[in-house]
Amino acid sequence: MAGHLELLGSGILGMLHLKYLVPLVIGSLIGVVGGALPGITITMTVIVVLPFTFGLEPLQGLAAMIGVYVGGETGGLITSCLLGIPGKPSAVATTFDGFPMARKGEPGRALWLGIWASILGGLLGAIVLVEATGPLAELALKFGPWEYFSLFILALSMVAGLVESSLVKGLLAGALGCVTTILGNDPVMGQPRLTLGISWLEGGVPFLPVLIGVFAFAQIMTDVERTGFSKTPDSLERALNLAVSHSKVLWDILSRPFLLLWSTFIGLVIGVLPAIGGSAANMLAYDQAKKFSSRPEKFGSGIPEGIIASESSNNANVAGSLVTIMAFGIPGDAVTAVMLGALTIHGIQSGPLFISQNAQLAYGMFAAYILAHPIVLIMLALGVRWVLRIVIVPKSILFPVVLVLCVVGAYALGNTMATVYVLLASGVLGYAMVKFGFPLAPFILGVILGDQIEINLVRSIMTDANLWLFLTRPISGVLLAASVLSIVGALWQHRRMQRKAAAATDAPDTDF
Amino acid sequence: MLAASLFLYAQTLGLKDNPLVPIGPGYYPRIVLAITAVLALAVVLADLLSKKAASSAPGVKLNYAMVAAMFAVFGLYCGALPFIGFRIATFAYIAATNAMLDPPVSKGGYVRVLAVALVTTVIVYFAFERYLAVLLPRGRWTDF
Repeated sequence: MAGHLELLGSGILGMLHLKYLVPLVIGSLIGVVGGALPGITITMTVIVVLPFTFGLEPLQGLAAMIGVYVGGETGGLITSCLLGIPGKPSAVATTFDGFPMARKGEPGRALWLGIWASILGGLLGAIVLVEATGPLAELALKFGPWEYFSLFILALSMVAGLVESSLVKGLLAGALGCVTTILGNDPVMGQPRLTLGISWLEGGVPFLPVLIGVFAFAQIMTDVERTGFSKTPDSLERALNLAVSHSKVLWDILSRPFLLLWSTFIGLVIGVLPAIGGSAANMLAYDQAKKFSSRPEKFGSGIPEGIIASESSNNANVAGSLVTIMAFGIPGDAVTAVMLGALTIHGIQSGPLFISQNAQLAYGMFAAYILAHPIVLIMLALGVRWVLRIVIVPKSILFPVVLVLCVVGAYALGNTMATVYVLLASGVLGYAMVKFGFPLAPFILGVILGDQIEINLVRSIMTDANLWLFLTRPISGVLLAASVLSIVGALWQHRRMQRKAAAATDAPDTDF
Repeated sequence: MLAASLFLYAQTLGLKDNPLVPIGPGYYPRIVLAITAVLALAVVLADLLSKKAASSAPGVKLNYAMVAAMFAVFGLYCGALPFIGFRIATFAYIAATNAMLDPPVSKGGYVRVLAVALVTTVIVYFAFERYLAVLLPRGRWTDF
């Protein structure tokens, strides 16, 4: 235990060196701005930052990305509270009470309740990140190829099952992601397959340009199709009084310890589950806060509980996502998927051996996560008004710049135009998927895990051809049973929602 | 998707097994493609059986022409990169996209379009080539 805390201490001291602190601060600043910009997600912000990290040391690059992640989660609440426009999906629930509170003449209280709840939720999440990642990685070390195969199947089925629109489309998106990994050489023996006569496909489809293309284009093009870009919101023109008593705000939060801890816990759990993300965390935490509240009818009218629940959960969600990627090598969401790509570029394999083989890097990441919170706090204390000004940068300028940076990021992966063409094709695919109602998260998880699923399947069969072992080995069996349960549960949930919707349609309209 | 997965499935049937491993390179792809085909068929059937007509929210008019134009210009940009190089192509791309999204109506508007394109190209070029050691594409025709 002492060694573990010593490593964390030296990680924090190391991160305070300018060499690492500067990328962390810059990343946090970009994250705050990106998070605050409505229509620009944290994923897109981290994609923009990615090519800048190629020339840096791995820890410098990861510090910048963690800064973006933490800064983005906190920055999103600024526009949610002050303009009523969520800066990102994971701040949607913050708008429900943050904006009404600001409109009631307490913009400073709304803003700082959100900021402090974010910081506290994030730091509570850090305890779990630091304490749980190692033991979980040790548990994962006991896994054989059967267990890994089953774990990855569970991850895919859970993500597909959690899709709200259609379970079949979620599963199909995951399968489609796996299809992209079967093009090119087989990952075990390197035998060429399904290259369709395209020479550069022999090396397979690189996942990072696919991820960048799918997410960037899906986001940008769905904005572009709405004619006319919004101008400066009127509310921004008003002079806002953001002065507040921080001790009172902190008391507002700390006097509700159960709410803070429960929302943080929800954020962590959602973060640990693969590819779900903060957008689900903040809504679920808000819903739970309402259910447990003694005054649920007040939710939505500008009460502190709504802001605290949403913001503490979405920052804790970051810690949960980092646990999953560092212990199992499975991205908790799209942002950690980009981080996984950054690690791969630097030749670092994430997964159970990550902490033991790269202790300095792992504890550096913990340190970056912890330090990003006070950095963001200071940044917002000094310049929240500046952030509000930057938010008005027109998207007609922002979008081409983002797409150029996507091209640079894709090209720099291998100094070849082939990856840029993959980016373009993925962009078209990503937009088409969104338009036809296919979720992106299972697709990306399929792209990332497809190779690993195949490798572990082949390894297990090479070790023992008995396929029943997938079911009879205890952990593998439990994981596969959980996969089936998650799909059955999702089916049940969908049916229930359909029945509710049908009942609502049949019910007489009492509004008139 | 259904047709593509069936086509790829047929392609896997021609793959030769490797004597060193008990399952060949087509084993896993066949599983994945079969699942994809079944799910794609399920989506098709679900769509056919669905009573609800697929339509966007009423009152929301979406500008698909702009999306198509954006993709076309981006495609041209990607195609032009190896021929005219990063600097010229990027300048032209940013200017074109910015003008498309926010058409200039005055002299100031044109200045804005050109200034944004120039500043972005210069900053990105210097940041990556000079400071981050990322070599950006040179033009085959322009050597620039």
